[in-house]
Amino acid sequence: MNVEFIDIVQSLIDGVLYGSTYALIGLGFTLIFGAMEKLNMAYAASSIGGAYVGLGVSVLFSFPLVLIFFIGPIAAGVLSVLVYFCCFRYLPSNNHLAALMASIGGLFFIDEIISHETDGSPLDFPELGIFSEAYFEIEFSDMFLGFRGDLIFVMFASFVAMLFLLYLLYRTRLGLATRAVSQQPIAAQLCGISIHQTNSITFIIAGVLGGIAGCLAAASVGVISPLLVLPLTVKGLIVTVMGGLGSIRGAIIAGLLVGGLESVFLLLRGVNERDIYVFLLLFIFLVFKPNGFFGAEIDRD
Amino acid sequence: MNKFIKGLAVSALAFSMSAGVALAEKTVLISGWGAQSGPLKSFGINSETILKAAVDKINADGGVKLKDGSMAKMVYEYYDSRCNAEEGIALARKTATTTNTLIAIGPTCSGVAAASYGVFQKKVDDASDTGLQMPLFTNTAVRNGLAKISQWTFRNTPNEPDMYDKLFAWVRKTQPDLKTIYGGTETDQGHSAGTYSKVIVQAAIRHGFEWVAGPIDEVSGKIASGHKNVIKASSNWLMADTSFSVQARAFKKSKADVYLVSSHPFTTCGMLKELARQKAKPKLMIGLTSSSSAETMKGCAKQAEGMIIPTSFAPVTPEAKAVADVAAANGAAADLHSAAAWENVMIIKDVMESVGISANGENLQADRRAIRDGLEALKTTPGLIGTVTRNQEEGEAFKPYVFVHAKGGNWEVLHDPR
Repeated sequence: MNVEFIDIVQSLIDGVLYGSTYALIGLGFTLIFGAMEKLNMAYAASSIGGAYVGLGVSVLFSFPLVLIFFIGPIAAGVLSVLVYFCCFRYLPSNNHLAALMASIGGLFFIDEIISHETDGSPLDFPELGIFSEAYFEIEFSDMFLGFRGDLIFVMFASFVAMLFLLYLLYRTRLGLATRAVSQQPIAAQLCGISIHQTNSITFIIAGVLGGIAGCLAAASVGVISPLLVLPLTVKGLIVTVMGGLGSIRGAIIAGLLVGGLESVFLLLRGVNERDIYVFLLLFIFLVFKPNGFFGAEIDRD
Repeated sequence: MNKFIKGLAVSALAFSMSAGVALAEKTVLISGWGAQSGPLKSFGINSETILKAAVDKINADGGVKLKDGSMAKMVYEYYDSRCNAEEGIALARKTATTTNTLIAIGPTCSGVAAASYGVFQKKVDDASDTGLQMPLFTNTAVRNGLAKISQWTFRNTPNEPDMYDKLFAWVRKTQPDLKTIYGGTETDQGHSAGTYSKVIVQAAIRHGFEWVAGPIDEVSGKIASGHKNVIKASSNWLMADTSFSVQARAFKKSKADVYLVSSHPFTTCGMLKELARQKAKPKLMIGLTSSSSAETMKGCAKQAEGMIIPTSFAPVTPEAKAVADVAAANGAAADLHSAAAWENVMIIKDVMESVGISANGENLQADRRAIRDGLEALKTTPGLIGTVTRNQEEGEAFKPYVFVHAKGGNWEVLHDPR
């Protein structure tokens, strides 16, 4: 098929809309890195794990399916704080490699539990009602640009979650404590802020965000599968690096960008080469712009 | 007290005698493996359920008659090969070398079949080849032309080149207004991509359909010609993909009369939902054989409405209906893959009885060889919807088939070319 400019624009729109889930996952990575200067590789796994728990609990107790979108994020928050206690809390704080390896262990552990409990088979996940059916078209001369209703909802929900996070970080005492621990942990401790308590809360908040992302990603597809875990982990990492480790606005922008570019690569180069270019992007950033878009804004003692 | 002890002793003696009889009861062991976890889990579960039902039926009818005239119960073991080539190879080695398995059934995935057939002896009696020497009779893995890899491997799977050839001939005849085609496949699945590029598109072109953007280089309508170019010209996806916006838009933009969607139920449904969302309305959709299953109806019955697929199983005969009922009663679904497990077990029983096996463990290799020779000698076998002709040289089958279409949440027979 001949690729026209309108096709590229359309792919970019599709990708950017879906990229909001990447942005949410990237935000979680960023939040934890910002607070502890450590990467939580089990983050996407606990996010999808939360969505699974939400689905399981709702089906088991015959709850209205809409409750999945509340139970899922809460469960993801619980899983996330469990990861904190298992992989970070009791490891020497100056040993970054140990925490990284422990969280990679956590990733595979959660992934294996999901695979074991579901036999690795995809499960139906409730779609987003009328949003799933909705499809909006805008006409340009004789060409159309289409917008998926469910992805618009996903993007809207993601932005609400991001705004809530920003409010939490910059308008509350909890946010102040988190930023203090992230920027000057020793000074924060001297001021009476409990580092471990703040880190636990950061993991819970990041987990809830991830749970929202996990539920929205599954809902936009209509199924949830263990196959979602590794791609989300990888995309989340790429987003975090591109945005700049620890930068919240960087994670948001990079998430949308990765989603958009991934979709354009798919259009231009086909499905078999799509991920090559996304990984190439990561490589380029690591070599030529290791601080990402906004890495320079991160400052700590 | 004495009475109690005497009673206990008599009971113990009776139990040990009955156990002795049970231990002495002869058995013939068949093994099976298929995907019972992962995205294709339902294929393995359906196959095992129907395999078990077939074994139960044989045992209820008295079992398998051995060379010495005695009867043996048929027993089976089933393993999860997870649609993983290494797992399939390991299971083939394990069952062939550490169990008394006389013949195996499986696997589910064509990629696993292609890899595991390679560890069997290529040619019988080749002393220089130390490959496995145990017959393997596949019911599911359907990618074209695999069984010839080894003379120990046989398949009872539909002949897709023939099915799609007849399907497009029939479409050409009944709907002459349809002229152009466009499609896509999941490129990381051997069966989906292979059948799409080497069989489906070629069959369509052979019967006068035109690729919507003009001829594809090297594609002549012959099986496998220019298949790489077919993949390149199409809009494809991967089995783990979750977003189909770009691909569906390419389908819609093509304005083709016929859409070809060659993938398994999981992604077929993702693609069909996206096509429906974008209001892409072809005049006809043709799908992959493996999608003519209950999973597609469960996942996207509404969006699949009208899709046509050739299949080697439909409940169109009393025997086929009985197997479909047995499967449903056990929570499984009979389709072209799982129903073949029933046929395989029945064929195996007939072959064992016709060649005469001892099933005493001491003559294990001789029994395996006799079963292999017996399978190879078969010119026809009874099938659930008609007689199956066998290609003795390649170990493949020509199964009767029908064309089904999705209608009202079910696969209904649209045309019966038998």
